[in-house]
Amino acid sequence: CGGGKEEGPPLESFTAEEIYKKGEFELEAQTKPDSAIRYFSEVERLYPYSEWAKRALIMQAFSYHKAKKYEDARGAAQRFLDFYPGDEDAAYAQYLLALSYYDQIDEVGRDQGLTFQALQGLRTVIEDYPESEYARSAILKFDLAFDHLAAKEMEIGRYYLKRGNYTAAINRFRTVVQDFQTTTHTAEALHRLVESYLALGLTDEAQTAGAILGYNYQSSPFYDDSYKLLTGRGLSMEAKGNSWLNQVYRQVIRGEWL
Amino acid sequence: QSYSFSNVVIEGSTRVDATTILGFAGIERGAAISAAELNSAYQRLQNSGLFEKIEVVPQGSTLVIRVQEYPTINVISFEGNKRLKDENLAELLQSQSRRAYSPAQAEADAAAITELYATRGRIAATVKPRIIRRSDNRVDLVFDITEGKVVEIERLSFVGNRSFSDRRLRQVLETKQAGILRTFIASDTFIAERIELDKQLLRDFYMSRGYVDFQVLDASAEVTRERDAFFVTFTVQEGQSYDFGQVGVSSEIEGVDPTEFGDLVTIRRGATYSPGVVENNITRMENLALRKGLNFVRFEPRVTKNAQNQTIDLNFVMVRGERVFVERIDIEGNTTTLDEVVRRQFRTVEGDPFNPREVRQSAERIRALGYFGDARVDAQPGSSPDQVIVNVDVEEQPTGSLSFGLSYGVESGAGFNIGFSESNFLGRGQSVGVNVSTGTDSVNSSISFAEPAFLGRDLRFKFSIFYTETNSENSRYDTRNIGISPSIDFPISENGRLELRYKISEDVISDVEGSEASVPGDPDVSSAILREEADRGALITSSVGYSYNYDTRRTGLNPTGGLLLRFSQDFAGLGGDVQYISTNALALAERKVWNEDVTLRAIFEGGAIHMLDDNPSRVTDRFFGNGKIRGFESNGLGPRDLNVSNEDALGGNYFAVARFEADFPLGLPEEYGFTGGAFLDAGSVWSLDNVNGGVDGTDEVDDGFHLRSSIGLSVFWTTPIGPLRFNFAKALVKEDYDEERFFDLTISTKF
Amino acid sequence: CAPVYRNHGYAPEDTALAQITVGKDTRDTVAEIVGRPSAAGLLNDEGWYYVQSRYRHFGARRPEEIERQVVAISFTPNGTVENVERFGLEQGKVVPLSRRVTESNIKGVSLIGQLLGNIGQFRADQFIPQEER
Repeated sequence: CGGGKEEGPPLESFTAEEIYKKGEFELEAQTKPDSAIRYFSEVERLYPYSEWAKRALIMQAFSYHKAKKYEDARGAAQRFLDFYPGDEDAAYAQYLLALSYYDQIDEVGRDQGLTFQALQGLRTVIEDYPESEYARSAILKFDLAFDHLAAKEMEIGRYYLKRGNYTAAINRFRTVVQDFQTTTHTAEALHRLVESYLALGLTDEAQTAGAILGYNYQSSPFYDDSYKLLTGRGLSMEAKGNSWLNQVYRQVIRGEWL
Repeated sequence: QSYSFSNVVIEGSTRVDATTILGFAGIERGAAISAAELNSAYQRLQNSGLFEKIEVVPQGSTLVIRVQEYPTINVISFEGNKRLKDENLAELLQSQSRRAYSPAQAEADAAAITELYATRGRIAATVKPRIIRRSDNRVDLVFDITEGKVVEIERLSFVGNRSFSDRRLRQVLETKQAGILRTFIASDTFIAERIELDKQLLRDFYMSRGYVDFQVLDASAEVTRERDAFFVTFTVQEGQSYDFGQVGVSSEIEGVDPTEFGDLVTIRRGATYSPGVVENNITRMENLALRKGLNFVRFEPRVTKNAQNQTIDLNFVMVRGERVFVERIDIEGNTTTLDEVVRRQFRTVEGDPFNPREVRQSAERIRALGYFGDARVDAQPGSSPDQVIVNVDVEEQPTGSLSFGLSYGVESGAGFNIGFSESNFLGRGQSVGVNVSTGTDSVNSSISFAEPAFLGRDLRFKFSIFYTETNSENSRYDTRNIGISPSIDFPISENGRLELRYKISEDVISDVEGSEASVPGDPDVSSAILREEADRGALITSSVGYSYNYDTRRTGLNPTGGLLLRFSQDFAGLGGDVQYISTNALALAERKVWNEDVTLRAIFEGGAIHMLDDNPSRVTDRFFGNGKIRGFESNGLGPRDLNVSNEDALGGNYFAVARFEADFPLGLPEEYGFTGGAFLDAGSVWSLDNVNGGVDGTDEVDDGFHLRSSIGLSVFWTTPIGPLRFNFAKALVKEDYDEERFFDLTISTKF
Repeated sequence: CAPVYRNHGYAPEDTALAQITVGKDTRDTVAEIVGRPSAAGLLNDEGWYYVQSRYRHFGARRPEEIERQVVAISFTPNGTVENVERFGLEQGKVVPLSRRVTESNIKGVSLIGQLLGNIGQFRADQFIPQEER
């Protein structure tokens, strides 16, 4: 059904600039960047190593990224970095490379391999092109991805806490407190440590964790929970909405299991 | 000395831009350049791989860079390749279209292709790269390939084998001697790595027959002068075959009593020694140690060989292994399944003592989930010497299936069927199935849901709503069955699981053919028994049931055998119109023999339904033995009303079956996935409450016990869509009115 | 119904603990004698804790911890052993876990994406009729 999508005139007769301009036009005009990608790759094929081929290559990476074809976007960006390392667009190519991983980062419960690769890509952007305009947003995205890694550690820590394996939980939360201080999860990690130490009966450790939490995260709601726990008042056994049926609804339908 | 240039002149570059060349050379205008920097600029231009010749000539204050570009490759093509297609050849190449052509690279690619042919056994293949000049410095690269003949192994011979003949040893090896079927069999081509594998196979073969000192001295392969055939000879030194002498278990750990482990040892004095048996016993003892919660225990088999009477004394010594802990459990590759679904298969928790046997069993449980194409679990060194990181690397496979169907039934008109089933819903391990179908002749719409870790425990909750309608497919009446059935099952002992279920359903038997038996001799008349059952109209059955499952095959101590006992009962009568007790029992014993190639299996199955009130049982509740005794059509055996033209099968209140099966390899290579089997089935379906059948209930139906048995062969085929089983069965003992079936294709269900 | 018991964690026996002398042994010598702790205190390891617990799994009920051994070894600031104590389950408290979770800002694949992304499994029982009766 339907011929190939090679519509439009054979491009051999056009100069590199014309094909490039057609590609740019297609990119703005249409929502789906596929035809733009075709034009940019034609420029590269017919006029390799020309100035237009260089710009077409970076535009090709951008269009693939826009079309969510992350694999090809990575290929094009990597090819650009191999051929034109010194070019001023190299920062953008490296940024695109990191973004192709970053946009694929998945939920906390799933494999975080892509987060690691995104972090590495973003770190190269920050270190190799510190003054480029992409460095600032790379730093921002770096922190978000780093925060996501901390979320994964917390998820596993809560898993063990819920099942009553307190030492495993303590080790996971301590990794968050020690290796991921700058993330938003440190407050919760400290509170979970208070819970775990109390459950084991190590009240003085619980107090130290509560003190650190109070000192650094006075306003966080976790501090209130810890305070109530440590002073043994207020936090009743049956927190509201924890009836048996509600628990089943949350776990089976919503997939949260805490 | 050093130069400084005010401008740079680039000559000879047509396609490559001046800025790109300057970028590679890395020379700024007006900067002081020493001779060394000039040289490194030259180097950089050289290894950019774009230029055939480069000259960097300083002329006073201008620098002249004269280049002669490599042509770029326009198209790459292959000629003369039949056995290997262009795509997998293209993958090997470094040179690519639109890139610079370099002769050295083309030679390297040609060598890579020759290497690939060698691994396919065509060591006589030759590959030559050739270029065709094109306009403006572009080039087409062509690889001329002459594949040559496959080089096969003409003779496979052995030197020094006294106990086993050459022919017997040839069967052991993976490499085969070229025979009449040489063109089809790939394993007779000579591949060097395979010879290493063969040495290992020979060693295993001899060791498992007691030849403890066996050695492969040499495996040599000579090529004939015309390079078209191979002679492979293995020189071996067998040594003596040893038997088991004194076998015992002792313990070097204080406070651990070895006698309990001693009873597990299954080695008989005088049996031929084999490492497999030793390994098997160690597994049994390690399983027991795991169950008793002993940490850091290892079993070391200490062997004393006494050559004069060729026996080996074996002492399993329980040794305190070094204290190693699990630092972390890292799970990777789970792109759909959630981390906790995999993590909860581990009984080991982070920080626990590391027990390799437990980790292996957890890996088994992860693979049994069925969500992963592959699940590799291994232990890597942790951050300190006494810590280990357990690394789980899973490879997801799709677990959801969507099916659409359009159908046209003669009397029911056009109908459609939508089916969605997902065994790993949203990666949470829950299984969801929705199947809606209307208008076809046999309809079964159902919604089913299962949560394996209900409330975070090892407690599976299942729930299903079903609506099934069958009409006159292989019986002369229609049935309709609507119902709901929730159930939970949980472990109650190391190998035992209990399921509790409740089921409420409404059954209707309708338009039995020939109900208005007004016209005698009417062609389609069904038995009066069925008509009476149909007249009772829609009956509600509300039943409570349990089934107890005791399965030692996977979690039991003995790795090569196992037992499965299943006993289930349903009590109908909790309200509703029907009161009965339906009991089902199954016992299965399995054993792997002949160094675990052949599995022998004996299955005894029985069922009984006993009506509590005085109404007779109905055809929808009775047993038919479908799929229990092979070689018969469905509803093909059991009591049958012979005095009506339709001769309806009525099923029976009792059924009992014995099946004896053997599964064995067919010798085909592993990747085809074929294994064979043979079976003998015997049993019967019998006894009815209401026996007065015939047209108007006057002729009695014979519902006595008549043994049926059948014998047959089956072929198992593991396909991507599931394990299939082709059965070829021949009924030995049967009633003349039974309906036989020689061949049937079923899914080989795992109990 | 037979309950199934499972052990987790590791706590050194009294015989091993007896070899630790208060005030003399340092972290390294303690690690030699009884091995590294399963969990440690928050501030630069000033407390070492070894926890071993035994769970009773019985039918459908939630696994309950029936026995717990916590060995706490605390150190003085200059690194020598200050105190060695052992206590059990009775000192632990049942702590209600707060259900507040720090939301991560990265949304994964959409619900529909997950459902449809996972299609592709063909199972034989769609094509071959199954009779179980």
